[in-house]
Amino acid sequence: MTTTTSSARQTADPEIVVDSVQPPQSGWLSWLTTTDHKRIGIMYMVAAWMFLVIGGVEALLIRLQLAVPDNTLLSPQTYNALFTMHGTTMIFLFLMPMIAGMANYLVPLMIGARGMAFPKLNALTFWLFIAGGVVFYGSLLFSPPECGWTCYAPLSETAFSPSNGVDSWIFLIQLTGVASFIGALNMFVTITNMRAPGMSWGRVPLFVWTMLTQSMLLIISIPVIAGAVTLLLTDRHFGTHFYDPTNGGSPLLWQHLFWFFGHPEVYILILPGFGIISEIMPVFSRKPIFNYKAIVAATLGIAVIGTLVWAHHMFTVPLPFFLLIFFMLGTYLVAIPTGVKIFNWIFTMWSGAIEFPVAMLYALGFLATFLLGGITGIFLATFPVDWQLHDTYFVVAHLHYTVVGGAVFAMLAGIYYWFPKITGRMLDEKLGKISFVFTLVGFWVTFLIQHSAGLSGMPRRVYEYADVNNLGLYNMISTIGSFILALGVLLTIINIVKGVRSGAKAGPDPWKGNTLEWFTPSPPPVNNFDVVPRVRSVEPMQDIRRQVERQSRTAEEAGAAARR
Amino acid sequence: MGGVIGPESGGGTPNAEAIRSLYFLIFGLGVVVFVGVGGLLAYTLLKFRAKRGVEAKQTTGSTRLEVGWTVGAALILVLIALVTFIKLDQIKNPPNSSADGISSPINASFNPGPAKPDLPPNGRSLNINVNGQQYLWRYSYADADTNNLNNVFAYEQMVVPTNTTVSLRIRAQDVQHSWWIPELGGKFDAVPGYTNYTWFKITKPGVYDGQCAELCGRGHATMIASVKAVSPAEFKIWFAAQKAAIATAKQDAAMARNALLAKDAAAAKSAPSTPAAMAAPAPVAAIDGKKIFVAGVPASGALACGSCHALKDAGTNAAVGPNLDVVLKGQDAAMITASILYPNKIISKGYAKGIMPANYPTALTKAQLAALVKYINGAVNGK
Repeated sequence: MTTTTSSARQTADPEIVVDSVQPPQSGWLSWLTTTDHKRIGIMYMVAAWMFLVIGGVEALLIRLQLAVPDNTLLSPQTYNALFTMHGTTMIFLFLMPMIAGMANYLVPLMIGARGMAFPKLNALTFWLFIAGGVVFYGSLLFSPPECGWTCYAPLSETAFSPSNGVDSWIFLIQLTGVASFIGALNMFVTITNMRAPGMSWGRVPLFVWTMLTQSMLLIISIPVIAGAVTLLLTDRHFGTHFYDPTNGGSPLLWQHLFWFFGHPEVYILILPGFGIISEIMPVFSRKPIFNYKAIVAATLGIAVIGTLVWAHHMFTVPLPFFLLIFFMLGTYLVAIPTGVKIFNWIFTMWSGAIEFPVAMLYALGFLATFLLGGITGIFLATFPVDWQLHDTYFVVAHLHYTVVGGAVFAMLAGIYYWFPKITGRMLDEKLGKISFVFTLVGFWVTFLIQHSAGLSGMPRRVYEYADVNNLGLYNMISTIGSFILALGVLLTIINIVKGVRSGAKAGPDPWKGNTLEWFTPSPPPVNNFDVVPRVRSVEPMQDIRRQVERQSRTAEEAGAAARR
Repeated sequence: MGGVIGPESGGGTPNAEAIRSLYFLIFGLGVVVFVGVGGLLAYTLLKFRAKRGVEAKQTTGSTRLEVGWTVGAALILVLIALVTFIKLDQIKNPPNSSADGISSPINASFNPGPAKPDLPPNGRSLNINVNGQQYLWRYSYADADTNNLNNVFAYEQMVVPTNTTVSLRIRAQDVQHSWWIPELGGKFDAVPGYTNYTWFKITKPGVYDGQCAELCGRGHATMIASVKAVSPAEFKIWFAAQKAAIATAKQDAAMARNALLAKDAAAAKSAPSTPAAMAAPAPVAAIDGKKIFVAGVPASGALACGSCHALKDAGTNAAVGPNLDVVLKGQDAAMITASILYPNKIISKGYAKGIMPANYPTALTKAQLAALVKYINGAVNGK
């Protein structure tokens, strides 16, 4: 007994030593100039949610236009601009910065670091992202791009898109791309170098593993899209013909370059979601994660195979036949590690003691929704079937099931889970449960029926459709669902605003979490930790709680002995 | 049920039917997996919800289970891949036309493109070139000479005989489009600079509707297509009628243009000052007709022809108006002059009135007009 106590003394007893928080710097200038990863994270998240509202309104306008057949609410020009802005906003201005914000806030805390490796670069990435958003939405003053978020050439060339909208889109990709690239380098260096003592690779939290993998995917794929849009820019303004078939260029070059980025991008959005789920499931099942190593291996496997399957977005263009087969089988291969994770999560809950706070409900909503998104992915991976489904509302439904059902639901789970840590206050559980029901039901009503719309012959990106094959009915259902979904998101926003103002005090560890961010007060002080504990397992807070319990029991016994 | 849970079908073409059966195999497996995994999830949530006095079991994993579900998932995918390979022959390779169908050897104007085309085993099918442009599909029925411009053609609706293997070569002349008739199988993108190909063999007469499936601009939603399948006998009648109609329309157009030109000349005689084009003589040779075609005459408000018309020699490929290489082939200078001065009098099939500016009689001088006509005629007809 004495020996264990003395060895623990040498490495500093794991105990909560910070009990008061320094008054934080205040005033707007302190936010503009901050290099604190937590403040940068908060700014990222707040800005991302502003863009979510904008992108959401665009989505509702799209749904209003499609509510009835042959609608004349919006002009084709406005409609094309709307779906271009919606897709671009949701991916580059909402999900990417939202993930960057959460990771910025959480990764240093989870690995027991006092900040990011390069704090000033970190601030730069945020302001580059804001610049990208401003440049992109600046095109509203002129004419917004109308080429879809994929901006296929030659439609995006000056001959067919003479307005400057496409240029603003290009600059958005470049600015946010540079931001993501620098941010990924920063994340990679932070995770590989700044982990708490004892946190070997086998003890790194799974959210951190997914962020490490995601940053590697960004480092691989961002330079390719940056190059692709730069070639488009020179095509448009400096007389080159990279994508111009009338002068020996190739439209397929654009598609290859775009999807070499575009497909890993899907995993860039979804892997952090997997990480969040892998953090939340064990906590609320009161059980360790099922097969930690297998989940890490699957994450890395997805990253490796996921960079080699991009042409499954191009099954309908003229490609050599063996490539169709190669990319079909490659896509099947990447489906395996993605699919089996669902079993890992279910078996994490198996024989546990499952609690259902809102964070867990969103995590379960993720599981059910992503399950269907994964299954419809197999339809699309089979290239003859894809020939029927490609570019229809079936694909629209599939991508929303994976990206909204996957990434966004996981992110909502993460918000309800980490909000107490970030603000020191709890969100309203009751309002949260109502928002969850609206969000989940709204989502399924909106998007399930879109599979049928696609199968009935409705291509994506059409501003009007004829009322054949029940398309009018399907689209009306979808539009109604979208408003239910919007109400659910609105309730979460109200909940967040209410929580910041008047939520109940959270304390350092309201959920009895597993990872180091729960070791420090809520909200954490500027330096995160006064003492960084030695990490002995993948669930350091469990160890710390056990040790605190043991110590207090020893102290009690000693006290009792002294009294006796 | 087709359309609600599975792709549409009904034309009886073997490739669409094979894709549909492959779809339903995956659909069946998908339902089993969704119900199975969803059921397991629901059971777990009901059985293991937190209860007073029940502690969670602290298991950390099981290699056997992990290997089990990995192999299980892989086996399902191997099954799907195997069935796909089995169906591939039916999906990819066209059969011969039936005995009562129409087939011809691969025709000279049916450009195969760089990829080896898929043709029936006997090499005989009905050959149609499909051309996508903003926002219209044009079909030209290949014939024996290499000239693609004298073929029988149609816009929007393609008429084909039943029981006949129809091979398509799919191209685009401006941006990317995608050929898709859901009931006749998959979609195939029309990519500028590339040739794509597919085929179908319809057994049931009827009209099969589809539309462009790749975003091609503001008119994307209205770029519809349809295939009308009729008996081979009816097809022969339609084909002859279409050929005659095209010839008549060409003749009528030439006559109408000549009449207009004569009227114009008479008007110029009686009031020599009215159209600027008829006044101001200048040496034709000094004016660059190509420059007018490409850049217009900004000073007088004459827009460039090339901003709306494709003309190979000038390097323009716009598709607002008809392709001049096509519609002016074999026409004379008088007809070209009349078409510039009176754009709304004669309209090429598939195009609308009121789009081409009508200000050329005043915006061009007579010499500029002559130079422009000379250039266009030279570029199209080598005269």
